[in-house]
Amino acid sequence: MMDIKNLIVILLSSVLVNNYVLTRFLGICPFLGVSKKIDQAMGMGISVTIVMLLATAVTWPIQNFILDAFGLGYMQTIVFILVIASLVQMLELVLKRLIPSLYKGLGVYLPLITTNCAVLGVTINNIEDGFTFIESMVSTLGCGLGFLLAMLLFSGIRSRIDERNIAKPFQGIAITLIAASFLSLAFMGFGGIVENIFA
Amino acid sequence: MKSLIKSVITLVCVCAVMASLLAVANIITAPIIEKNNNAAANEALLQVMPEGEGFEEIDISKFELPATVAQAYKEANGGYVFRLVTTGYKSNFIIMCGINADGTVSGAICLSSNETLGKEKTFGENFVGKNSDEVDTVDIISGATKTTEAYRNAVKDALNSAIILGGGSVDIRTEEQILADNLSSALPSANGKFTKLFIVETVEGIDKIYGATNETGYVCVVGEEFIGVDNNGNVITETSAENSQNIAAQIAKIKSSTIEKLDISGYTNIHKNVISISKTASGNYVVETKGAGYGIKGDDTYHPISGEYIVVRVSMTKDGKIIDCLTVSQAETDGIGSACADEKFYGQFVGKNESNYTEVDAISGATMTTDGYKNAIKYAFDAVKIIEGGSTDAE
Amino acid sequence: MQNKSNMSVFLKGILKENPVLVLILGTCPTLATTTTVTGAFGMGIAALVVLICSNVFISLLRKIIPDNVRIPCYIVIIAGFVTIVQMIVKAFFPVIDSLLGVYLPLITVNCIILGRAEMFASKNNVVKSALDGMGMGIGFTLALCGMAFIREVFGNATFAGIEIPFLVPYKIDFLVKSPGGLLVFGMLIALVYVLTHGKAPIKREFSCAGCPSAGSCHTGSCQLKGDEQ
Repeated sequence: MMDIKNLIVILLSSVLVNNYVLTRFLGICPFLGVSKKIDQAMGMGISVTIVMLLATAVTWPIQNFILDAFGLGYMQTIVFILVIASLVQMLELVLKRLIPSLYKGLGVYLPLITTNCAVLGVTINNIEDGFTFIESMVSTLGCGLGFLLAMLLFSGIRSRIDERNIAKPFQGIAITLIAASFLSLAFMGFGGIVENIFA
Repeated sequence: MKSLIKSVITLVCVCAVMASLLAVANIITAPIIEKNNNAAANEALLQVMPEGEGFEEIDISKFELPATVAQAYKEANGGYVFRLVTTGYKSNFIIMCGINADGTVSGAICLSSNETLGKEKTFGENFVGKNSDEVDTVDIISGATKTTEAYRNAVKDALNSAIILGGGSVDIRTEEQILADNLSSALPSANGKFTKLFIVETVEGIDKIYGATNETGYVCVVGEEFIGVDNNGNVITETSAENSQNIAAQIAKIKSSTIEKLDISGYTNIHKNVISISKTASGNYVVETKGAGYGIKGDDTYHPISGEYIVVRVSMTKDGKIIDCLTVSQAETDGIGSACADEKFYGQFVGKNESNYTEVDAISGATMTTDGYKNAIKYAFDAVKIIEGGSTDAE
Repeated sequence: MQNKSNMSVFLKGILKENPVLVLILGTCPTLATTTTVTGAFGMGIAALVVLICSNVFISLLRKIIPDNVRIPCYIVIIAGFVTIVQMIVKAFFPVIDSLLGVYLPLITVNCIILGRAEMFASKNNVVKSALDGMGMGIGFTLALCGMAFIREVFGNATFAGIEIPFLVPYKIDFLVKSPGGLLVFGMLIALVYVLTHGKAPIKREFSCAGCPSAGSCHTGSCQLKGDEQ
């Protein structure tokens, strides 16, 4: 019971309170770059979530059973980024062969994910927070869903921005960042809620 | 094919070169990083023991220390510093506590805490210079009872741990554990499960009586002694003949007691908060009443009120002396008013009568709860007086 | 680009092609580490060191590394240097390490570094690559410090941890929180546009030019984005 409660708290806080994009600033590039249309935002969000989950499932055992066991903790970054890069490549190949319809939808986003700092960030954070495997997976799922949620909400906002006549200096990226600031402000409202749900 | 092999070889070579560079960098920096980490840890140690030097971590798995102790350090002059993890009102918090070689607290700080009240930040200063006998004199902060109590217990654990590490022995069991152990050894057949009996007859020479949940007998507490009694009334624990005789008689009295519920619908002047009244064959009364504590009267601006009364069961002689008292149910503020369900509180009413029952110690930070409780007891006194035919000024 | 003087290679990163304010690269660390000037400076210098080292190393190896494993090789080299820098920071500047936390290893995926490797170091000689890395790194550091200055001084009434007494009653807490970072960044970009009278070649949108994966990506994702502009 305690465990499930704990897991729910981890999940909700990584979706809402510690939202990777809006409060921890990881994965800002795709957040700003691929959020112009809702279907693109959805595709990117889902791809990131899948890669994050796969990456955590692979890197957690590597860190705990190989790197830590042989005192190679300092190889963490280099090993993790290689794992992520190869996972993305493999996922691309597998999707292309087996589920071409899904590949058509998500394939275009996959190469962009290797250098998405949210993926590397989530794998490193899980280790630093000392999570168990299950906790890591739940927290990763939360981060991915949080990313997806932020992408979807923001694509809605952006379609409205594009219809407006904006002062020249603010056109493009400047107004986009300011709009993101307000969305982030809204997410700040979640702070403190999750801890108190079960209190 | 040739190009593929070349690619793979290049990649492997690049990886190998970078890995060896990393290994070299690691060999150079690792000792410095470790020193930094130790220095950071030492800083916290010095905060609680400013004069300490040469701290060394102790392998605590070799000792039987209280469960709150997470880490222990020995200091060159014979002192110890403990890192304790305990639970406060809502969350875990970490306390660093230093113990001097003479067994007094050198300092205590709270390292991380999400507790709602900020008072525990400086609370640790109150412990400086106290030894394990004096630690209880540090007052709990009212309104932060759970947090400060946990803090005090953690400091106590640190003091005890210092004694254990110094080669001494300390009873690290909690009060509940000690009670449970004493009860079990007095009546092994109960398998460690007991409930305190609610006594309706005046018993003499016995402080408390516990019944085995599996109904295999009783344990009577007389002073420091725990005396087991089987179902046939035979005393099974070794004790003085006098005690043994008395206990057998008192248990027989309790077992033969009969009780009958009275119809109180005729008594219009009995307070509406009186739930039921029963009378024993020997003429004692058992009254159940309810009192309005914070759950009813609390202002719901800051805390939601539960809308629940405090239900109290009290037994008394016909001339109004309380034999036993028990909180049946309550929904007061958790961690504050909820202390009215502790035996420490309601046990105080035993032996009191109408003239002195208000003298019990109030629950700190919960005046409304205490007042509501006392009112509930008052209704019981009034009701018994009415039934006995005496006069009362009940509304 | 080959004919440009070494000086202009160095200078363009600082002003004309400032990675943060003009090319809009490395947004994650820009937003996350600019709550304190110390943290921003530490991040800037760490990235500068990684940039120079990886640029030089990649430039040296540019004729040896086969094209098809180019990106993985770059990633390994960058991750290696990042880890070395991380160790040095941990050993000699523990304060900065505690300020930067996870963002220090995340320099690995900072688009500026992979972007410069892919777009400059893989095509130019060692000297030019080193200068390019230095210029870009200094530009990155300056932009970060400038943004951190605004956020820390007005948001927290401190500068590099030292309190500024006359600002204390007027501090705007919002600026050091996450939304404040996004807002200040947006405002700064607009300001750069105004200051340069609209002549700065500010990238108005994210495009393939800023995407470090552009070289390895043949799936048309950039095409897809390009169509929209």
